[in-house]
Amino acid sequence: MFRAEVLSLCLVMAGAAALPLGLRAVNGMLPGAAGSSYLPTLETPRPREPFDDAAALAIREAQPEYVVIGDSMAGIRIDPRHLSRVTGRSVAGLYTPGTPVAYWYLQLKNVVAENNLTHMRGAIVLFRDDQLTTQVAVNGPILDRVARDEEPELDRILAAHRLGPLSDVHRAARSVYQFDRTRVWLEPRLTRAPAFALGKSADLLTAINSEVFALDKLRTFEAADLPQAQEAFLDFDEQVDRSLLPAMLDVAERAGFRLAFIRVQRRPRPDGPPDQSDALARYLEKLAAYLEQRGAYFHDDRGDPDQPLAIYSDGDHIRSDARLGYTERFGRKHARFFQ
Amino acid sequence: MIFHSLAFVVFFCLTLAAYWLLPRRAQNVLLLVASYVFYGWVHPWWPILLFATTFVDFWAARLMTIAPDRRKLWLWLSIISNLGLLGFYKYCNFFIENVAAAGASVGWNIPPIALRVALPAGISFYTFQSMSYTIDVYRGHAPARTRFVDVAAFVSFFPHLVAGPIMRATNLLPQFERDRVFSPSAARDGTLLIVWGLFKKLVIADNVGVIANKVFSLESPEFFVLWAGVFAFAIQIYADFSAYTDIARGVAKWYGFDLIRNFERPYLATGPADFWRRWNISLSTWFRDYVYIPLGGSRRGPWREAGNILITFLVSGLWHGASWNYVLWGAYHGMLLLIARMARLLWPHERRAPLLGAPLRVLQVAGMFLLTCIGWLIFRETELAQLQRHLQLTPADSTDLGRSAGWYLFLLVGLYSIPLWIHDLWAELKGPDLTAALDVPETTVRWPRVAAQAVLAGLMMAAILTLRSQTALDFIYFAF
Repeated sequence: MFRAEVLSLCLVMAGAAALPLGLRAVNGMLPGAAGSSYLPTLETPRPREPFDDAAALAIREAQPEYVVIGDSMAGIRIDPRHLSRVTGRSVAGLYTPGTPVAYWYLQLKNVVAENNLTHMRGAIVLFRDDQLTTQVAVNGPILDRVARDEEPELDRILAAHRLGPLSDVHRAARSVYQFDRTRVWLEPRLTRAPAFALGKSADLLTAINSEVFALDKLRTFEAADLPQAQEAFLDFDEQVDRSLLPAMLDVAERAGFRLAFIRVQRRPRPDGPPDQSDALARYLEKLAAYLEQRGAYFHDDRGDPDQPLAIYSDGDHIRSDARLGYTERFGRKHARFFQ
Repeated sequence: MIFHSLAFVVFFCLTLAAYWLLPRRAQNVLLLVASYVFYGWVHPWWPILLFATTFVDFWAARLMTIAPDRRKLWLWLSIISNLGLLGFYKYCNFFIENVAAAGASVGWNIPPIALRVALPAGISFYTFQSMSYTIDVYRGHAPARTRFVDVAAFVSFFPHLVAGPIMRATNLLPQFERDRVFSPSAARDGTLLIVWGLFKKLVIADNVGVIANKVFSLESPEFFVLWAGVFAFAIQIYADFSAYTDIARGVAKWYGFDLIRNFERPYLATGPADFWRRWNISLSTWFRDYVYIPLGGSRRGPWREAGNILITFLVSGLWHGASWNYVLWGAYHGMLLLIARMARLLWPHERRAPLLGAPLRVLQVAGMFLLTCIGWLIFRETELAQLQRHLQLTPADSTDLGRSAGWYLFLLVGLYSIPLWIHDLWAELKGPDLTAALDVPETTVRWPRVAAQAVLAGLMMAAILTLRSQTALDFIYFAF
């Protein structure tokens, strides 16, 4: 009986492990799974959006001396033209809402450093809290427009960050079962099926995403929400080597321009600056020391009396009519970076 | 540490290998250490609270035997320490906020103070479990144990520590005190439970959870979109919570333990009382045995019974979280139960029986599911002003796109949840469900069943690999 029981256990485990191998056969029969990936450790080849040559060309033609990089936090705060007037230097903005630090790294590398910008003197990155070292893990497609065909450094760092020491296990499982390849054809079919059942085209999905769930339809604190830093991830020394921060500094160093990192102030309290845990304060101290040691410029906006709650709109965004004022003060406050 | 991580797989394999090489007492020590490592994986200070709870309750129970003339004192010591801990971490800020708001309404300006402490995961579960031990000892239902390790391992047993099921001392403690033998059949059934749980969590709950989160992040969702979001949340919370229970039961089986079932196809309930016999059974029965019955239950007349039901459900609502919407949710279910009882008095079973054919039963199930969904709207919407707005929405307010979007989301959620419905319907109509069947010990290996299990496990693994949500969501009940 015991032997039969052991055999039955082995059979169930073998079924769980072997049956998914059928995915390989299914993949072979279906078209549309071909493609490439600049993150080979994290995903199997898939169709991808091409690199945005037009955006790279536009910035090359502008030949700025300074570039401001970031998500909507940067876009809502810095007006590049006004900053050019205030500092006397030509400034360009590379803002894409909702982007992670991996996206900024690729912009810095592919759109700024490796784009023949002969007058480049510095790049400014605006970020929140521990975003530079912890908001690293991303899904591939979001990076398509700024990624080249091969991004070995990004692949290595993302794999280490997302998968940790067991990244080899992930890689092996992906290679054996090819489940990402299956996902590429299966997931769109699954999400389109309800639309077809309703007699609608796949355009319904686009309309739902762009209209029903548009940013301006979100609740005030959801639109600009970024989770509070988690204490478990605020050990700077542990996080920095798994992050893209050293790679960003290396890119700037190789290209011969300086980097500035500005921590924007999150939504303040009515009677003072936003709350900040002791762990986050320690993290920021270490971040500042690290950046100084690497020759980068660092500034923390938290507690700035010129940034009271009154200038904020939703979440951590400031009001659009406060943008020029912020830019003006930014240019003057950081004048030595622009010298 | 979470179940669906590689860290847990390594942890599970290592502890399991060592566990079956050890004698029983050493096994309990190993489980205790492993449970504390599991619990303190991200927040190393959390096990301190767990230890404090266990220490107080172990000695409170022991003192009931050593100094029986003060049994009531030791019982209160246990209750106050457990509820005090829970109150401090879970309800302190809620209390301060409400006192400040009440003060402001009469002109007293109380400065806002907020405790900056994170709610330790699972505190609501293990304090209740630990407290039930001292109450059972006080009532004479269980003897006070003399071995601290056994009690500590019972309170902290890692498979169900963070989100239940809440086990009773009378059920789980004896399992720590007897010799355990590795059973390949139990391990096989455990494997299937784990895979089924992972499938429910990663494929169903997380995918529909993304839809629910999106809808509830909208400022003014239209009628159809809102209710598609509520439907998504109803599926998410059931798939998510029952997944945790199934994984916990599956993991426990590998160590030779049996944890109780926590769900019995709740969305096929025909009425409120039936729903609470099927939903979060371990918590429902906990409140029945340790709150409702001590309050007098149904023994002191119908008015007192109604009051006891309402109090029990209000406390149950508050247990879920420090927010008024949870209290409201509890009150809503309490009222549903009272209305159902009144209906039963007015329309007794003998008069209903002839009508209880399949069509009426389908209507009852559909009606109860709708009422449950209204409850989930109250549960999910933490802003009361928004809740009021949601409840006033009508289909007539919808645009064409809103209507299409709502139906689209509804169908998408339905698509993801098909396996859940099939499983529950099959079990309801044909006999014991997947998880119940696994509780029946086998005298011989039934090979057709094993082959079916192997195929099911393989299909679910394939689905997990290909369809798991790209957005990993925490188990919902971690927050409670």
